[in-house]
Amino acid sequence: MRAGYLWLASFAILPLVGAPFLGHPAFRRFGILFRTVLAGGVGMVLLSATMTVWALAGWRWGPVLVLASAAVAFALRWLVRSHLPLPAAREEGRGEGRSLTAIALVLTAISILAALAATIAARSTSPDLLLFWGPKAQQFASARTIDTAFLSAPHLEYLHVYYPPLVTNVFAFGAIAAGRFPWGAATLTFPLLLGATAIGLSGILRADAPAPRAAAASALVICALGLAGISSSVAGNAEPFLLFFEILGVALLLTPAARSDAGKLLAGLFLAGAAAAKVEGLPFVLAVVVLFLLLDRSAARPLARATFLLLAPTIVSIGTWLAFGATRNVFFGYKGYGHSLEFHWDHLSGIASAIGIALWKVGYALPFSVPIVVLLATRPKGRRALLPIGVAAALSAFLLLTYLQSTQDPRLWISWSAARTFSPVTALIALASYCVSETESERVDR
Amino acid sequence: MRKPLLLSLAGSAILAGFSVAALPFSRGLFRVPRTPYDANEASFLAPAWILLQRAAEIVPRDVSVVVRGEPPDATNDSYLHRFAVGLLPGRKIVPAAVWNVPSPPEELREADYEIVVGKAIPPPASRLVLSIPEGSVWKRER
Repeated sequence: MRAGYLWLASFAILPLVGAPFLGHPAFRRFGILFRTVLAGGVGMVLLSATMTVWALAGWRWGPVLVLASAAVAFALRWLVRSHLPLPAAREEGRGEGRSLTAIALVLTAISILAALAATIAARSTSPDLLLFWGPKAQQFASARTIDTAFLSAPHLEYLHVYYPPLVTNVFAFGAIAAGRFPWGAATLTFPLLLGATAIGLSGILRADAPAPRAAAASALVICALGLAGISSSVAGNAEPFLLFFEILGVALLLTPAARSDAGKLLAGLFLAGAAAAKVEGLPFVLAVVVLFLLLDRSAARPLARATFLLLAPTIVSIGTWLAFGATRNVFFGYKGYGHSLEFHWDHLSGIASAIGIALWKVGYALPFSVPIVVLLATRPKGRRALLPIGVAAALSAFLLLTYLQSTQDPRLWISWSAARTFSPVTALIALASYCVSETESERVDR
Repeated sequence: MRKPLLLSLAGSAILAGFSVAALPFSRGLFRVPRTPYDANEASFLAPAWILLQRAAEIVPRDVSVVVRGEPPDATNDSYLHRFAVGLLPGRKIVPAAVWNVPSPPEELREADYEIVVGKAIPPPASRLVLSIPEGSVWKRER
């Protein structure tokens, strides 16, 4: 029990690591709670990347890691030229607006509490926690580095040695602090990160929209992810981390924050978190950056600088990981599930029906169908709605092609993975329904 | 602007309601589970979890351990090997099966300890060190 509390308490270090960056005057307009969540995300990305650099250099992990990653956070301030604060939040509505905001907050709270109750009741624990996330984190904490002997050991190929390192690094960091890896506490990352996503998302959207609209959009995203997570057993898996980084990264690019260097670099750091959390985070990042540069040309100027701010954190983070794998002869790039560009189209109908069955089993597909219905009924306007919709389409295509690459019948694989892998798609569709009107900048651009 | 907002809230209410409905009320929501898998689709993991957690308290570090199920099943044994890697850190885990293919019996006999999930037939030349309803732990007599 004590190890579990210590492990969870170690997460308090993450906002401290990211605080030097979020302490930049550009972020001053955000409230303390919102800044703490964003600093936690940045802290997670930087701490994990520093742990990977340490492993690459052959150094054992120790307390100095925290200082080194906080120093990186401080150094990142130099990349932000402007000291102008991000645009102020819109005025809150009165009367009915406040009631609607309160309803949205209550619904969000119910979803987070349901996720917490499901996790504590052992309803939503992921088998993958026991199969690979936990064993790797436990061993890395014991070895105080990314243990190549363990990753190369015979009969342990199922550990997916090439999976990006953020989740195992963060889990291992807590295990070093706690003295052992607490399995039960690890499952609580699901409600914890769902709550952090809710706070971060509503804070980001408040920079662009009145409180009722920001709260309602956040509620739809969180309620969809809550039900999907409970039903598809994501507690202790990487999905809560992936979704936290993906949703907040895209949300930043939907708001006026995307027009500043500070906002772009912050989004870039969150996108790096997504890429370092799961394999499918990398195509997600590429889709986001390409679509953002194409769709929001005024915010993307100057193009080279915008590209650098958005992509450099991912390149450094994933580049370090791939360099580690190659120099230790453990893995060379990400492993595919078949030959590249060889697709088994004869599996298509089976794959489509298997995906349908897998999604149906998750709350009768409601986490996926409700955001689509809301999107179709609200008919979002403006180019910026195309960003989440386009990324959702690109990610769906990527997942479909990945399943089509499998040389064997992929239906069993789909049955245990599709509801989780498609959860970012539903979150993006829910987020798109937020873009019900054009921004001021879009009107000016036209 | 009001319609999209109300639609989002209505959708959220449906999803939040189903989230609450998905909770395992029939098992007793406030009853502390014995394992992290008690109330989900992977509840078949629970006996192995309980046995391996108990075994971790008595099986010394740096010894070799084989974990298998009874009755024998290569698929089940492949997974038991993986669970043991997670729940018995610091021990050399000898797989009773890998990728659903049974390991040669002579490899299993070299393990210092044998953990059997389910009702065990006493392994030869072994001393019982733990027996619980979920299974048993045996130490090889050399």
